[in-house]
Amino acid sequence: MKRKDLILHLIGEISNFLLESDPRRLVISLHQEENGLHLCILDENTHTEEELSKIEQKLNSRKRPELAGYYGSMTGHDMLGASRLNLLGWQVKHCDVSSIGSGIKIDIWLGGDAFQNDQFTIPKTEDE
Amino acid sequence: MKENVIENQNKTLLFLLVFIMFSFIVTGIAADGAGRAFNGFLELQFRPARLISDYISEAGIGASLMNAAAVGITGLILILIAKVQLSGATFAAILTMMGFALFGKTPVNILPIIFGVYLAGKLAGKTFSEYLIIALFGTALGPLVSMVTVEMGLSGLSAVAVGTGAGIATGFLLPAIAVSVLHFHQGYSLYNIGLTCGFFALFAASFFRAGGYEFASLMQWHTSESVILMLMVPVLSLILIGTGIFSAGKNSWRDLLAIQKHTGRLPSDFMDLESVGGSLINAGLIGLAGSAYILVIGGDFNGPTIGGLLTIIGFGAFGTHLRNSWPVVVGVIAASLVFGKSLTSPGVLLAVIFCTTLAPLAGAFGIITGLVAGFIHLVLVHQTGSWQGGMNLYNNGFAGGLTATLIVSVIAWYRSRNSDFK
Repeated sequence: MKRKDLILHLIGEISNFLLESDPRRLVISLHQEENGLHLCILDENTHTEEELSKIEQKLNSRKRPELAGYYGSMTGHDMLGASRLNLLGWQVKHCDVSSIGSGIKIDIWLGGDAFQNDQFTIPKTEDE
Repeated sequence: MKENVIENQNKTLLFLLVFIMFSFIVTGIAADGAGRAFNGFLELQFRPARLISDYISEAGIGASLMNAAAVGITGLILILIAKVQLSGATFAAILTMMGFALFGKTPVNILPIIFGVYLAGKLAGKTFSEYLIIALFGTALGPLVSMVTVEMGLSGLSAVAVGTGAGIATGFLLPAIAVSVLHFHQGYSLYNIGLTCGFFALFAASFFRAGGYEFASLMQWHTSESVILMLMVPVLSLILIGTGIFSAGKNSWRDLLAIQKHTGRLPSDFMDLESVGGSLINAGLIGLAGSAYILVIGGDFNGPTIGGLLTIIGFGAFGTHLRNSWPVVVGVIAASLVFGKSLTSPGVLLAVIFCTTLAPLAGAFGIITGLVAGFIHLVLVHQTGSWQGGMNLYNNGFAGGLTATLIVSVIAWYRSRNSDFK
C-alpha cells in the first residue's frame, strides 16, 4: 500500500473513533520522515482513566501479521459500525495515549525496521 | 508476563488441535480398520470433489476421518512454518479445513491453491504469514483442482499438470479478490473467503461452460445412522468446554458472557478480545446446539453436516456466538417453512448450520436484521451452487456474502439520507 493511502486509512480510523464521542475540536498532526511517521491526534472531550487504558491496550495489542495483512485493509475504509482500534494497533509501531487536561492525546508511530523514535519528537508548545 | 500467557495459550491450542487430529485418525481406524481406511484415503485424493461429495458415503468413515486429519495437519504445519501464533482465526481455519475434508478437500487438491497464494504474496512483497488466512480458507476451491484433474477427460501426467496449474493460478488470484470483496460487506459476513471463492468460481464456471463443458450434478449424501458420526461432535464439544473451563478457571462464565456482547464483525478474535478458555466454551456450546438441532429435526449426521458443525465450532472463537446466531438461524427456518422446504433436506440443513456467517449482522444491527438476513440467505443459497458449478465448497459463504452485501448497502444508504447539520 502506498504511504499516502496508509496515512489516509490510519487517520480515517482514529478520527472515526474520536468522532464517535462528538468532540467540538479535533486536531490531527502528521510528521513524516523517510523511515516512518508520527501521527498526533488531540480532542477536547473528557475521558476516564479506564477509557484511556482500554484505548492504549487496543492500540498496543500484540502484532498479528496474519490478520493485519488481510483484514487490515478495512482500516479507515469500512466505516459502517463501531470503529476498530485493534485494526490500527496491529499495524503500527507504538502508541501512547495520555490525558491533556480537557482532552486526549494519541501519539501513533509507524515505520520500518530502521525506524528511530528520537527522530519523531514533537516540539513542545508554550501551552504545554 | 504477557508473552508467557500468549505462549501458554499457543501450547494449549496446539495440544488441543493435535489431539483432535489424532482422535480422528484413531476413530477412523477403529471404525473401518487401518487398511481399509488408508486405501479409502488414497482413493479420495483423485475423485471428483464438487458439491455435494460426501466422502463418508464414497469411501467410509475411516477414510474420511483420515483425510480430515491429513488436511488439518497440512494446515497446522503451514501455521507453524509461517510462525503465526495459534488464535481464534487459525483455530477457525483448521477446524473449517478439517470439516470440509469430509466432503471435498484433500491434501492433493488444496496444496496447489496454497502454493498459488504463496506466489501472490511473493509478487506483492508480503510475507506468507500475511496471507496465511487466505491460503488456509482459500482451499475451498480444492474441487476445482480435482475437477480439472479427474472430470475433464484428461489423463495421466497431463491431467495432474493441468489440474495443478489451475490450482496455482486460482490461489494466485485469491488475495486480490479476498481483500476487495471484504469491502462489499464490510466484515459483516464471517466467511469472506466463501464470497471470494464464489466470485472467482462464477467466472471459472462461465469459462468452462463457454468452452462447452457441462457440469454434471453431484449428490453424494450419506444417510445411514452411525453412533460414531452422531457422537463425534457432541463429544468434541464437551472436550472443548472442559478444556475451556480448565483454562479460564473462575473467569469462565464471565468471559463467556463477555463474548456474547461482541457483534462478531470480522475480525473478532474472541481469544484475543476475551480469553482462550471463554472462546473454547463458546465453541463447545455452539457445537452442542448445532448437534441438538440436527438430532431434534431428525437430520443426517454425515460428512457435510459434521463438516458444517466443525466449521461453526471453529468460528466460535472468531465471530459466532449463540446470541448473534439465533436470529439468522430462525430466519432460515422461517424461509424454509414459508417456501415449503423440508428442514431435513440437504440444502436447508446446511443453510441452517452455515447461515451463521451472517451472525455479525444480528450482533451489530439487531434481531430483525438477523431474521431478514437468514430469510434472504436461504432463498439465495439454493441458486448459488449451480452458478458456480459446485466448485466452491463454501457455497453458503458465497450466498451469505452476497446477502450481507445487500443488507449492508441498504443500511449504509439509509444512514446517509440526510446530514445532521441544521
